[in-house]
Amino acid sequence: MAPQLTSLYTTSFLIALFVTLLVAACLRAINILPGRTCHSAKAPRKAAPATRILIVLGSGGHTHEMFHLLRDLDTSRYTQRTYIVSGGDAFSAQRAVEFEQTLEDRASETRNKATTVRRRGTERPLCVGAEHFNIATIPRARKIHQSLLTTPFTSLVTLVSAFSPLFRSDRLHPNLPPTTPYEIAAQDLPDLIITNGPATGVIVVLAALIAKFFNLKGCSSRSKCRTIYVESFARVKTLSLSAKLLAGVVDRFLVQWEELEGEGGYVGGHAEYWGILV
Amino acid sequence: MSEHWAWSEGSAMKVCFVTTGATAPFTALIESVLQTDSIKTLRKLGYTHLLVQYGSARNVFEESLKAAHSEAGDLVIAGIDFDPQGLDKQLKLVSDSKGTIISHAGSGSILAALRYQVPLIVVPNTQLLDNHQSELAIAMDKSGYLIEGQVNNISAALDRSETFRAKMTTFPPITSGKHRETKSFAAIMDETMGFLD
Repeated sequence: MAPQLTSLYTTSFLIALFVTLLVAACLRAINILPGRTCHSAKAPRKAAPATRILIVLGSGGHTHEMFHLLRDLDTSRYTQRTYIVSGGDAFSAQRAVEFEQTLEDRASETRNKATTVRRRGTERPLCVGAEHFNIATIPRARKIHQSLLTTPFTSLVTLVSAFSPLFRSDRLHPNLPPTTPYEIAAQDLPDLIITNGPATGVIVVLAALIAKFFNLKGCSSRSKCRTIYVESFARVKTLSLSAKLLAGVVDRFLVQWEELEGEGGYVGGHAEYWGILV
Repeated sequence: MSEHWAWSEGSAMKVCFVTTGATAPFTALIESVLQTDSIKTLRKLGYTHLLVQYGSARNVFEESLKAAHSEAGDLVIAGIDFDPQGLDKQLKLVSDSKGTIISHAGSGSILAALRYQVPLIVVPNTQLLDNHQSELAIAMDKSGYLIEGQVNNISAALDRSETFRAKMTTFPPITSGKHRETKSFAAIMDETMGFLD
C-alpha cells in the first residue's frame, strides 16, 4: 500500500531527506575534489588541437607575478586564453594585452627563423592574435574600504558573473557558428584555470567547483576545469588567506619557498615546491 | 636630464638607480640615499650618476637633494617620476654601466630588477605593518639573489654590493634547493594537463 501523501510532510521525513542529500553531496564532493596523488595520476596523452585556459588576474602585484609565471607559455598547446580581470582594474587588462603582444612578436620571430630551419611534419601552429584570447571583466568581490557586512552580497554577484567567462569566451564573430577546433574550444569550458591569489581567483575556482559538482556542460565527466594555484613568491613563511581557502580544492597547489612545502589543505599537507617559478 | 644619460663602451660611467614604488613611495629610502654618508660612499666606490625614482614624493626628493648638494661633487644626481611603462630603460643603463640598483621590497620591482643580473640592494620598509617584505628580502638574501639593506645604513649595503657581483646567484634559478628536481611553470602546466608529447 502506498504511503499517504501527508506522511511526506512530517519532520522525520524532512530529516531523512536532508541526511540523504547531505550524504549524496559529500560523496559527490569527495568524488570531484583532488586526491592525494592527483598530479601524477593523470594519464599521459597528446595535446588536443585546441586547449582553452582561464587566467585570473588581480591587483598590481598578483598580475605582475602571473605574467612572470606565464613567460614561456606555449601558444601551440594553450591555444585559447581568457583573462579574467576585476571591474575597474584597467592596469591588469592592459598588461594582458601587452603580454599577448609579446606572444605575437615571439611567434613572428619563430616563424621567420623557421624559414631557414627545416620544418618538421607534425609541427603545430603558434596560436596568437585576437582570435586566440579575450579579456572578461567581472565585478569586484570587495572594493577597498567596503564594509565586511555587505561583502557576502557583492561576492555572490561576482560568483554569478564568473560563470559567463567560465562557460565560454566572448565571440569574435557572434553570428557565425564555431567551425575550427579553436572556435569550438573557445565556446567550451576551460581545460585549465590558473590563479595566484586575488579574491576574484577564489571565486572563479568556487564557480568551477560548482560546475564540477553538478557536472555542468560535462565539466566533471570530461575532466574540464583543472585548477592550478600558485602562491605569491613574496610568501615565504605563511600562506595567504586565498591560499588557505583554496589549498584543499585545487588540483595543483604550488608554493615558491621550501619552508611552505606540505602546508595547507584540510586533509594534510598538499603544497608542492619546485623552486621559484616566477 | 636623466633621459640624456647614455652609456658607451669604455666610458667610466657607473650608475646607482634607486626605485621607491609607485603607490606609496618609500620616502625614508629617498632621504637615506641622499644623506651625506651614502653620497660619500657612492663617490668612494666610483659611482658617477645617482638616479632616484621618487614617484609622488618629489618634494621629499628635492628637499633632500638641497642638503646633499654640497657633498655631491662630480656625482650627477637626478630624479624621475613613476613611469607606467616600466623601468627597463633605467635598469638597462645600470646593467651596462655595471652599477647597482637600490629598491624598495615590492615583489614587482624585485622581479623586474633581478632579470638584469646586477647587484640588487633591497630595503624593506620597516614602517609598514603586517607585511612580508622583510621575510622575502631576508630569504632572497640567504639564497644569494640580492642584498638585504637597512634603511638607516645604505653605505654598508653599497660596500657589500662591490664583491657581490661576482658571486650572486642567477635568477630565475637554474637549479634551486639541494639535490632536488626543479620544474618550470610551463612544465607544471603540461604535467597537470597530462601533455607529454
